[in-house]
Amino acid sequence: MMLLRLITWPYVRRHRLRTLLTTAGIVLGVAVFVGMRTANESVLLAFRQTIDRIAGKAELQVAAGEGGLPEDVLERVQAMPEVRAAVPVIEAAVGTNLASEGNVLVLAVDMTGDRSLRDYDLESGDEAVIDDPLVFLAQPDSLIVTREFAARNGLAIGSTVPMRTMEGEKRFTVRGIMKSGGLTQAFGGNLAVMDVYAAQMVFGRGRTFDRVDLALSEGVGLERGRLAIGARLGPGYQVEPPASRGRQIDSVLRVYSFTADMNSAFALFIGMFIIYNAFSIAVTERRREIGILRALGASRARIRALFLAESGIAGLAGSLAGLALGVLLSKGLALYISGLIAGVYGIAERTTEIATEPWLMAAGLLMGVATSLAAGWIPARNAARVDPIQALQKGRYQTLSAGENRVRRAAALALGGASLALLLFAKGWTVLFYAGYICAALALLLVSPTVSLWLTKALRPPLRRLRPVEGALAADSLIQAPRRTSATVTALMLSLSLVIAMGGVARAVYDSIMGWTRTTLNPDLFVTATQNLTERTFRFPESLGDQLEEVEGVEEIQRVRTHRIVYEGSPIMLVAVEAKSMGDRVRRPPVEGPGDMYERAARGEGVILSDNFARLRGLHAGGSIELDTPSGPRRVAVLGLVVDWTDQTGVVLIDRASYVRWWRDDTVNVFRVYVKNGARPQEVRQRIVERFAGAHRLFVLTNREVAAWIAGLTDQWMSLAYAQIAIAVFVAILGIVNTLTVSIIDRRRELGVLQAVGGTRGQVRRTVWMEALAIGTVGLALGLGVGAVTLNYVLEMSQRDVTGLALPYTFPWGTAALLVPLILASAFVAALWPAESAVRGSLVEALEYE
Amino acid sequence: MITLSGVTKAFNGRRTVIALDRVDLSIGRGEMVSVVGASGSGKSTLLNLIGALDRPTSGWVEIDGRRLDGLRDDELTRVRRDTIGFIFQFFNLLPTLSCLENVALPLHLRGWARKKAADRARELLGLVRLGARADHLPDELSGGERQRVAIARALAIYPPILLADEPTGNLDSSTGDEILALVGDLHQRLQATVVIVTHDRHVAEICPRTITLRDGRIVGDERR
Repeated sequence: MMLLRLITWPYVRRHRLRTLLTTAGIVLGVAVFVGMRTANESVLLAFRQTIDRIAGKAELQVAAGEGGLPEDVLERVQAMPEVRAAVPVIEAAVGTNLASEGNVLVLAVDMTGDRSLRDYDLESGDEAVIDDPLVFLAQPDSLIVTREFAARNGLAIGSTVPMRTMEGEKRFTVRGIMKSGGLTQAFGGNLAVMDVYAAQMVFGRGRTFDRVDLALSEGVGLERGRLAIGARLGPGYQVEPPASRGRQIDSVLRVYSFTADMNSAFALFIGMFIIYNAFSIAVTERRREIGILRALGASRARIRALFLAESGIAGLAGSLAGLALGVLLSKGLALYISGLIAGVYGIAERTTEIATEPWLMAAGLLMGVATSLAAGWIPARNAARVDPIQALQKGRYQTLSAGENRVRRAAALALGGASLALLLFAKGWTVLFYAGYICAALALLLVSPTVSLWLTKALRPPLRRLRPVEGALAADSLIQAPRRTSATVTALMLSLSLVIAMGGVARAVYDSIMGWTRTTLNPDLFVTATQNLTERTFRFPESLGDQLEEVEGVEEIQRVRTHRIVYEGSPIMLVAVEAKSMGDRVRRPPVEGPGDMYERAARGEGVILSDNFARLRGLHAGGSIELDTPSGPRRVAVLGLVVDWTDQTGVVLIDRASYVRWWRDDTVNVFRVYVKNGARPQEVRQRIVERFAGAHRLFVLTNREVAAWIAGLTDQWMSLAYAQIAIAVFVAILGIVNTLTVSIIDRRRELGVLQAVGGTRGQVRRTVWMEALAIGTVGLALGLGVGAVTLNYVLEMSQRDVTGLALPYTFPWGTAALLVPLILASAFVAALWPAESAVRGSLVEALEYE
Repeated sequence: MITLSGVTKAFNGRRTVIALDRVDLSIGRGEMVSVVGASGSGKSTLLNLIGALDRPTSGWVEIDGRRLDGLRDDELTRVRRDTIGFIFQFFNLLPTLSCLENVALPLHLRGWARKKAADRARELLGLVRLGARADHLPDELSGGERQRVAIARALAIYPPILLADEPTGNLDSSTGDEILALVGDLHQRLQATVVIVTHDRHVAEICPRTITLRDGRIVGDERR
């Protein structure tokens, strides 16, 4: 403690900016981790809370994926001896035209029985509504809203609320206002209750409910009841406690969460290099101080403890600041993520509160401190090994010893060889594949100091040719301080390799999605019940298709029904299409399977799977899968595999006739419309809108609009990852500032001499700038190279364990070309302040500087 | 050649220290002058002011007919570059540059072509009898050799003024004598004005004129 006060504190005070830059790495790493995680947790919490609050006293919920339950299922459930009460529910996130309210969650229930499960504690309203639910039923435009919603929108009993329904915009009358508490907090308070039978009509549910909520009879345990009801209903139905819906959303968001975690880990890893670099530099700078302490009797252990304590304190301070920043960031991120999952997965959510989980805060703190301690370990060990006699002599001791370099190179060579062997011969074994990746990563980290030294030496002649004095001094400064240089270059290399890997994945995803959009989403028009293709709140009756076919200029209509089902415990997307027609129209070769697989699917011989779904489950054309349907389990043949981006969780393409028969659902989400040769899609679109406007809620999107929407969604998906990467790059640039600041201090005398013998300020500045540009160039060269390797592994990992998508390896030349000026410019900007500090100081002091 | 008028240099820290106190001094062209005094007497401060490395708190310095007090930093740099050669006690050679590159450094800074600068540097290294060591790094030389490289660098532009701060302070006596003989020889041959700061009476006595400082003031100006 005494040493911290006497030795560390004055050093920190002398180097405030550097201390700040050092901790900035941890601050940002922890902030990204905590911010992303908190935002994710907040979104999931909001979803779970909405489920919990809406569930009321319901112990179990019966559903058949998103396909809906026929009305007779309700009667069957109600008749079961294990069930005390069972009520139907429809849930829909519906747009209102109320200013700044966005969506409202409509909970449609049967008021006659629902009050046994949910408490509608009304504070005001038509007494008849409260006392007699039949009055509520008799008026299908009745709506009960929450006090908060009513207050925000100035609503009172008798006010009307406009909502966009399947029958166009309809006005609903407020006939009750609920007191605050429990149920009313669901969906951020934007909740409205209406009659379930009215909802069937206005939301296009036909004669189905979304689910049945139930309470068990007295004495029936949850698990016993669940199994008994499941057995009576048969396969195809999910009987689960309400909380399990939360688990499903976790599963849906798995890919997203995985990406976010990977990026956070990367940011922290890069932060670790910054700290390692800063402490290595501190040890070098303070060798004399350490020598004096050792000469005065401080033990090696004490010196090590001193430096570890410093890194621990830096980690603690950085982590605390990171936690605060992370929580601040999380609010904005949560809103962004809500929007993203609504767009990508079609799951509407309203996140109003930030879930600052104590475990997450503790984990962030622990990670920050642990990262800092891990980064400080080697410098602390080096400090402890300082020889007091050498340290008290003048001179530099930065050079890596030949022995150290040899050991590093040998280890890198062995690990590199091992990774190559594993990649070539043991790719099929998951454990060995990951072991190969770890070997490759370690080999690259070990070899990066040597390679960065080689590259810097190679840069010396061209730099010298460019500027004989400044160029040579800049390169020499880097060559003479390999530890300082290599840690910064490694941090830059890591962040750039992440950019290249992500850029490569983005490029491959874009190409694949756009290829799929061109070949599979090739109708001229899409008629949807919602503004995009992923939302499944509203559905059309099948008969609308016949009416659409009558519109002038329409050649062919394809009816598409998408809904999420549960396959082996995980949610996947079922896409019911008119397979024959689809096969005729879609111009995309299958990944696996015969050319006539669509015709065979149309004959009901089996299903077609998306390649990602098949790959993650080891399925192939010629195999079979079992689907639980409301009409019983169906073992169906796998006819082939295709690329399909409809949903990340995987897609099962089934012929519509089989779907209607097995799921007893003939509704439609999207009509794919092909116009006749010579007809103009815009004109056909206009005719459709004119004919159905007012009678139906429908949106007609052109092929180009759908492609643009998909591209926008992909951009949105990628942009969050890019934002995180930008932070990682920023952290790496902080490393450059740090390195240059220290380099200036190290070379104060040298730069003083340069000025004393006639070097102008401009020349000194140029020396520092060229040093920064050299770091940037070496970091770029290594980052692009390592990025090329990382991309290969990321694609492979994604294919194996995350998305199952087989994406082609394409090096992102565009991203690389963008990075060159960006990083060189950033390095230059990072050098501006250090360069100024180099020329502003006292020349006399610089010449006397030891 | 060098004129100081009422020059005071104060250092402001917790308390103000007057390093030079109202110094008036004139050194003619081609003179060889030694400046002596105890530690803290203001010798190095005087040299720094003459060398345009620092600015006086009050008074003014004139070098080769040009007053320095109104000049900007880059103009001061040009004065140093074109007029003054420095020899430091600790040599101040750049450790990463070879002897040739160190000597050529001021020439490159003046924008000389690479070949021309290298030729001049080689010539100067020959002058200080280090032609064979041109490609060596400073670390590979003895103390005396390093100081000879530093002298060659100071002479790179054949400056009219040569300033030496304890040029033998870091050398043994025989090497020191050798360096002084070299400086004396160069002074004779190049007719440069030489100012040597030293606390060594033996070094001072080699110069025809010796100025003695005490507590920031000139207390003696002896000509031999």
